[in-house]
Amino acid sequence: MSTAAVLRSEWIKIRTLRGTAWSLLAVFLLTAGFAIAANAAIGDSEADSADFDALFSVFLGLNLGQIAAISFGTMAMSSEYQGGAIRASLTAVPNRGLFYAAKLANVAGLALAMGLVTTFVSFLGGSAFLGDAALSLGDGDALRACLGGAVYLALMALFAAGLTAVLRSGLAVLSILIPFILIVSMILGETSGSLADYLPDRAGQQVLYVDPPSDLAPWAGLGVTALWTGAAVLAGWWSLRRRDA
Amino acid sequence: MNAMVPAGHGSCLPRVGEDFPSAGGSGHMAVNGSVISMTAIDVKDLTKVYGQVRAVDHLTFSVRPGQVTGFLGPNGAGKSTTMRLILGLDRPSSGTATIGGRPFTRLAEPLRHVGALLDAQAPHGSRTARSHLLALAASNRIPDRRVDEVLELTGIASAASRRVKTFSLGMRQRLGIAAALLGDPQVLLLDEPSNGLDPEGIIWIRELMRSLARENRTVLVSSHLMGETASFADHLIVLGKGRLLADTPTKDFIAARIKPRVRVRTTEPARLREVLLRHGHTPVESDDGRILIDDARIEAIGPLAAQEGIVLLELASEEATLEQAYLDLTATATEFTARAPQEA
Repeated sequence: MSTAAVLRSEWIKIRTLRGTAWSLLAVFLLTAGFAIAANAAIGDSEADSADFDALFSVFLGLNLGQIAAISFGTMAMSSEYQGGAIRASLTAVPNRGLFYAAKLANVAGLALAMGLVTTFVSFLGGSAFLGDAALSLGDGDALRACLGGAVYLALMALFAAGLTAVLRSGLAVLSILIPFILIVSMILGETSGSLADYLPDRAGQQVLYVDPPSDLAPWAGLGVTALWTGAAVLAGWWSLRRRDA
Repeated sequence: MNAMVPAGHGSCLPRVGEDFPSAGGSGHMAVNGSVISMTAIDVKDLTKVYGQVRAVDHLTFSVRPGQVTGFLGPNGAGKSTTMRLILGLDRPSSGTATIGGRPFTRLAEPLRHVGALLDAQAPHGSRTARSHLLALAASNRIPDRRVDEVLELTGIASAASRRVKTFSLGMRQRLGIAAALLGDPQVLLLDEPSNGLDPEGIIWIRELMRSLARENRTVLVSSHLMGETASFADHLIVLGKGRLLADTPTKDFIAARIKPRVRVRTTEPARLREVLLRHGHTPVESDDGRILIDDARIEAIGPLAAQEGIVLLELASEEATLEQAYLDLTATATEFTARAPQEA
């Protein structure tokens, strides 16, 4: 089998689903829209507060945007599990490893590309209202947050895609992950310096701060998220390889 | 490659590429002294157990090119499971299934060798018919123009840019058949292809299968309808409860299973009965006063009555239907497996 051909096939599948295109666009609209709207409203009035973080204040919207990224990863994979589409897919590409890798490569590539646009626009748009408190893009922390934030979005999309391959249902994955991120993680996140710092979303978001609240360094935190994603992707692979289609 | 028999729409199925590593037609190859067909489906001692249920039970059969093979059995007999096992979608508990001597999953660009229709609902509803086929074609490096050809061939070209969820069952079925034909495969596995088709569609699929077989392709078609299958299949493989019940040419199946029966009406039923019994027949009186004689032909009963001077008011040949023969066959299998646990 030609890897390029299978990648192209998965690319056609992902771009001919409406849900995936919309959720990808939502990553951008929610994250950047929130960054611009919130900072336009608050401006630099919070800049003197002790909690103020010139980076995280422009990436607040990422909490919403990641839900769209999770939906994107979930939908890209769950479309195979609706009405037995996966049987047609595996009849065309019986090499399940290649099939799975090609799909995840498309998910990761698209989420990363959209993530980069999202984080840079969020940073530039949000910072425009912070006056003197804003960081410049030339700042090492700023660039790290923009790049790391995009990687974070891609990791969350892959995490969801891997989990979908395990559970074989988009609905199941979304009804686990969305409440988890909106409620459980946010509540646990208040108690910093605990195991909650190692939750997939909390850990990775350290990369979005000038001064991360947890003990994890920015890149180390993103590494923890990468481990979660790796585990979900491997579990998905194990499930796809072992189980009858 | 052997010469192909020119068929009605053979020209509609142009080859899609030159790089067919194995099944470039109906070639044969000698392995260990025996000749195996490059396009035959070989199932050997195949078993699939789901929990307590033996969906497929030590199944062995071969499907040869150049003919339509009907794959029959009641619902739950294991036909679809067997097809999924052949396609490597399900893992067998034991045994093997190969196509041209190789497991399906080892085929490079399998759509170019094997086309399968498994489930009419398979395409994702929010995709258009064309994008569904384009994605499948791309993975096997089948050119995009072939997508338009199969859409045309299956009669859904005008609906190509409609989303699949707006399709009727019959149109989905045609889309599934279009997908099976994408790679111009030498081997076709079609699970209940006439499902949801209108009468015109059923005739169309029947003709399509016949012409594919004439082009020396291997065609395996599952169905639970005996009468319909007998009308186009050259060979029958019958399953019951996951076991092989029959593997025989359709002609032989009919000859062996359809028992003749004679129906007579006479003015002297009592005397005719006695005469028939004397000649070794087993007459049975029916409710309406007619006499039914199993395993007899009118050629024997008519002269017999004449010889005895019995007036016949009616003399007719009654053949038990093919459907009945098939039901008898599969019913036996059900009984057999139902008794099996007590024997253990």
